Amino acid sequence: MSGLGPLTSRELKKWYRNPISLFTGLIQPLFWLVLFGSAFSKISDFGPAILDGAPNYITYILGGVLTIIGLFTALFSGVNLIFDRRLGVLGRFLIAPIRRSSIVFAKIFSSSFRILINAAILIAAALIIPNGLKFVHGFTVLDALILVTAVILTSLIFSSIFTTIAVRITRPDTIFGIINLVNLPLLFVSYAMFPPDLMAGWLSDMAKYNPVSWSAETIRTVIINGSLSASQAYHVSVWLGGLAALAAFLLTLTYFVSEKEIRE
Amino acid sequence: MASIIKTEDLTKVYNGRVKALDKLNIEIEKGEIYGLLGPNGAGKTTTINLLVTRIYPTSGTAIVNGFDIRKNSLDIRRTIGVVPQDLTTDEDLTGIENLKLVSRFYDVPQAEAEERINRLISMVNLDDAKDRLVRQYSGGMRKRLELIAGLVNDPEILFLDEPTLGLDVTTRNHMWQYVKEIQEKLDVTIILTSHYLEEVDALSDRISIIDHGKVMATGTSEELKSNLRGDVIQVTVKSENDVEKVMAFPESVDSKLTEPNTVRLKVSNSDEELPKLISYINANSIQITKLSVQKPSLDDVFLEITGKDIRKEDPADYRQVMFNMRRLRR
Ligand SMILES: Nc1ncnc2c1ncn2[C@@H]1O[C@H](COP(=O)(O)OP(=O)(O)OP(=O)(O)O)[C@@H](O)[C@H]1O
Ligand SMILES: [Mg+2]
Repeated sequence: MSGLGPLTSRELKKWYRNPISLFTGLIQPLFWLVLFGSAFSKISDFGPAILDGAPNYITYILGGVLTIIGLFTALFSGVNLIFDRRLGVLGRFLIAPIRRSSIVFAKIFSSSFRILINAAILIAAALIIPNGLKFVHGFTVLDALILVTAVILTSLIFSSIFTTIAVRITRPDTIFGIINLVNLPLLFVSYAMFPPDLMAGWLSDMAKYNPVSWSAETIRTVIINGSLSASQAYHVSVWLGGLAALAAFLLTLTYFVSEKEIRE
Repeated sequence: MASIIKTEDLTKVYNGRVKALDKLNIEIEKGEIYGLLGPNGAGKTTTINLLVTRIYPTSGTAIVNGFDIRKNSLDIRRTIGVVPQDLTTDEDLTGIENLKLVSRFYDVPQAEAEERINRLISMVNLDDAKDRLVRQYSGGMRKRLELIAGLVNDPEILFLDEPTLGLDVTTRNHMWQYVKEIQEKLDVTIILTSHYLEEVDALSDRISIIDHGKVMATGTSEELKSNLRGDVIQVTVKSENDVEKVMAFPESVDSKLTEPNTVRLKVSNSDEELPKLISYINANSIQITKLSVQKPSLDDVFLEITGKDIRKEDPADYRQVMFNMRRLRR
């Protein structure tokens, strides 16, 4: 897929050259941690059982925040495609001998890369702040790999959905509308922020099917428990399997839609 | 000579409503500069966009360099260079970064790409600006960058859609020289659309005049003009009494009094008719104060064929419209 390399590096170049987007991207994870960590810290008064054994709320919520950071960046991954179309740059890509899907995959991969950087910063920050992230039961290389996989899969899932939507959209406000419509439901109908026991029954039932929950729960499980028990390992592999299957399906869909449907 | 581009009833209907191209048939030979001339909305850009596989035809097809635009778009895109009507370079990158990006699309080896890019940059005098962000370029600088972006892959066919739109006269002349140079040195076939008649006239070997998505006439500039049948001889006489006599010149196809003492004679070939006219003037002892010969210009051909006077569309205004359009798109 020629074109993918140069287009992805173009995307990243534009990102790290923009000091404001770089700054906000880096500072945003801290906001999340500090705000949510303080706003809902009273949840830990219910005792460690409700937090699945996490020593504090930050440790509990980190899996959720990591997922949400990925989710929110991914939701915007299609926006640049619309601006490329508006500014005429897309025309240059369409007359180049590159696969048309590479134009879309460049957006997906560059946003995944940015999400990974943000995730790393978030984890570092969580470790530094007082009463922050604590690996009570250790953290192995395998745990780290599981964590990274979950973050990447979540970002692939949502960025493929939103770049595919952007394949035929010509107005940025259209996609902003769609993002606004889905971001809060995706966040609150999930186990990203709150333990299932604190949620209304119907909400919790729906949250089970949300990939945001799968990712948040996966990361949470490895962060809190270190080496996993058999049943925990089973749950994690079901969640990761679900994420991987969904990501594979959506990336395939993105490939076909972008090859056929992308135009100015 | 073998044809390198051939369209077969090429048709494009936008959104099921706007018929931009209506069974267009043109044939372009290898190595020539082919001009597409037509008023605004004639379908020039649509033709180019179809040939470069940027859009897909509604019906009909075209063969470009041996490949079908409906089936082998990737093969076509590899061997062509395109300078679209609208701007396509990335404002957030520098000039040279834009060119490098394009060269990577074509898998040009890095050393070769660098060498070629630097040569192209010097050719259009962008050496001083190459490391500046394109956002900071002037309109003309940007247009020059667009031109060389179409040459980075050393194409066999080059499509130029209004390459000099919005450029000042000096830069336009440079651009013309450059286009000729490209065609001679690099042995490229060039398809050019233009709003400027002089441009098409000066550069093209052959021209198609299109309007409403159809070819109205094709030929060399000379052929098109000779089809108009006739040059114009203007005779200004000293006294009104002689007007009648001049108008009675037997060899003229048509004669008209344009100003009180000026007669416009249409003749089939001025080279042959002028000596006859002079003897006629002497024989009838007509006193003339002025005699001038006008060969028809492409403007006249255009006017005759499309019924529109291209000169009436003020380039300055048009340029303003284009720039405003770009602003709106942003
Ligand atoms: N994307 C589009 N959607 C709908 N109609 C279009 C589109 N592009 C062009 N058209 C219409 O198709 C017709 C031909 O347009 P085209 O751009 O090919 O003309 P042109 O000869 O290049 O004109 P100009 O000299 O103004 O560049 C016009 O009527 C135009 O309105
Ligand atoms: Mg045009």
